[in-house]
Amino acid sequence: METIAHLSLGFGVALTLKNIALCFVGCLVGTLIGVLPGVGPIATISILLPITFGLDPTGALIMLAGIYYGAQYGGSTTAILVNIPGEATSVVTTLDGHQMAKQGRAGVALGTAAIGSFFAGCVATVIIAALGAPLTKLALLFGPAEYFSLMVMGLCFAVVLARGSILKAFCMIMLGLLFSTVGTDLETGQERLTFGIPALSDGIDFSVLAMGVFGFAEVLRNLEAPEARDVVKGKIGRLLPGWDDIKQSIAPVLRGTAIGGILGILPGNGAVLGPFASYTMEKKLAKDPSRFGKGAIEGVAGPESANNAGAQTAFIPLLTLGIPPNAVMALMVGAMTIHGIIPGPQVMTRNPELFWGMIASMWVGNLMLLVINLPLVGMWVKLLQVPYRLMFPAILIFCCIGIYSVNNQPLDVAFTALFGLFGYLLIKLGFEPAPMLLGFVLGKLMEEKLRQALIISRGSFVTFVERPISAGLLVVAVLVLAIALLPSIAKKREEVFTE
Amino acid sequence: MSLNRIERAQGLRVRSTQDLAGGLFMIVLAAGAFIFSWDLPAGTLRQLGPGMLPKAFAVICAALGAMLALASLRYHGEKLSGWSWKGIFFALGGALLFALTIRGFEFGPIRVPALGLLVSGPLLIAFSGLAADDRKIKELLIFAVGMSAACILLFKYALSLPIPLAPWLLGI
Repeated sequence: METIAHLSLGFGVALTLKNIALCFVGCLVGTLIGVLPGVGPIATISILLPITFGLDPTGALIMLAGIYYGAQYGGSTTAILVNIPGEATSVVTTLDGHQMAKQGRAGVALGTAAIGSFFAGCVATVIIAALGAPLTKLALLFGPAEYFSLMVMGLCFAVVLARGSILKAFCMIMLGLLFSTVGTDLETGQERLTFGIPALSDGIDFSVLAMGVFGFAEVLRNLEAPEARDVVKGKIGRLLPGWDDIKQSIAPVLRGTAIGGILGILPGNGAVLGPFASYTMEKKLAKDPSRFGKGAIEGVAGPESANNAGAQTAFIPLLTLGIPPNAVMALMVGAMTIHGIIPGPQVMTRNPELFWGMIASMWVGNLMLLVINLPLVGMWVKLLQVPYRLMFPAILIFCCIGIYSVNNQPLDVAFTALFGLFGYLLIKLGFEPAPMLLGFVLGKLMEEKLRQALIISRGSFVTFVERPISAGLLVVAVLVLAIALLPSIAKKREEVFTE
Repeated sequence: MSLNRIERAQGLRVRSTQDLAGGLFMIVLAAGAFIFSWDLPAGTLRQLGPGMLPKAFAVICAALGAMLALASLRYHGEKLSGWSWKGIFFALGGALLFALTIRGFEFGPIRVPALGLLVSGPLLIAFSGLAADDRKIKELLIFAVGMSAACILLFKYALSLPIPLAPWLLGI
């Protein structure tokens, strides 16, 4: 019953007029930017980060959570209406969602996605509230060695679950770790890899890296290909699914929520697997699998629920252990740090109203999505018709003003342009930049924990395998890597990610 | 892609220029990081020094790069494709113009006064907008003015971020 007390505290915070308004604005602008084709949640959050700067930490986090849900949902809208997935997790939605849209049932697809997501979001909120307290207690048992091993395991998962070649994902993680070492050494105060540039003595700025690699580089990538946008013409149709649709979707929504919620908790981008797993499962369970890919409503309801459930339970490792499981959550760490909050088990004990307020606002955010998105579908469709030649200068000016506002430093804008070029180079070389961001954020924490663990163990690496929890985590890490490298699994993995 | 798609090679030749370039890129970056962290003491295992991790990461990066480059000789993969020089020049150039003009800039004989968002905004949009193949100059100019006005209202007034508006004209 502790959970209920916590949740009521949270709702007390989240349901103040100011915080509801912030959540509303967050969801609205999150969807507004997220719905733009080629702008995924990572880019959306990095572009919108600066608009939270003037707020108090609780308000800022509530707004960020709103932006996050809005961005997620905006990605699904683009997937259904334009057949462009904003990110890996909405790839599956394009398969049946866009077909439904072509059959004049775009409204029903969007409605089912929203309702399924809302349901999944409600369940996931309860899961977070229920697991938050016990996991935080578990986290207090963790010493530096366990933390280090946990992060190693998370990075191994991230390598395995990244799109494309495992070797290239590995390269990106290591590059992120390498970048994280730039700046003043915490213990000795010596400058590392700063090339004598004062701006680098605090390390590479997180928002500069994120906006360069995900904002600018994305623009460069999109500029290169003449756009082929397949916006659904004709009517959206009615939004609310009919009784038959609902009957068909209930079971997939329930299954999708369960799968997505469980996978989302895994450290290392588990959430990305949710929609794929859900889609495969629905196809296997269906009486007539051939309907899939031709506009089956189950193919929208299940994966969308899994997507949202995973997107939300991915907060669990972040809030309880302070370890971001994927690039979007890494971005949330960056955002929290800017507001002076270091994510981890101490947040719940030291700022309970912030912790539970944010969790409650997740539910509010999901409700908002339902309330604002469905009536506004017409507006999103109009927005989708804005040509890219006007869209990218707008994205650029948002980014520039945003980065400038982080430190009021024009030099940061120039650095971001440099990272934009760097990110474009990575894309050209076939590297997926998302794991780099994760490595970058985890790098500093890993170094700190590694040093602490080695001091405690008097310089012996055996400590990582001697302590049972730490050893267990490392064994899982090795197993995951080994399994992924087995030829038969590797082939399957490739099929999943190219589908 | 390359590692997974196992196609036995008959002799070695470059099968994926993208992977080869990627591998070499990693090696060059890692070598740079290694050279620049050369002077940093690595410390001992008991007390890691500032140089330990940069060097260790650099070595791993280089090893991964080498694996990637070697893999490109055996496994088929993507080829390198062309660059969008126009995008780089106009889009990134626009951002640089913004950085130079927003608060002014002084570098040797070159002096740029602080022009503020009122000028830097339209400048950025108009210049970067030239990168599009289907650009329409008139539309772009109108959009630059309108979008900048919207940004000023949003960021300067609604969110009250401390961004200079037009110090040369309005003093703020």
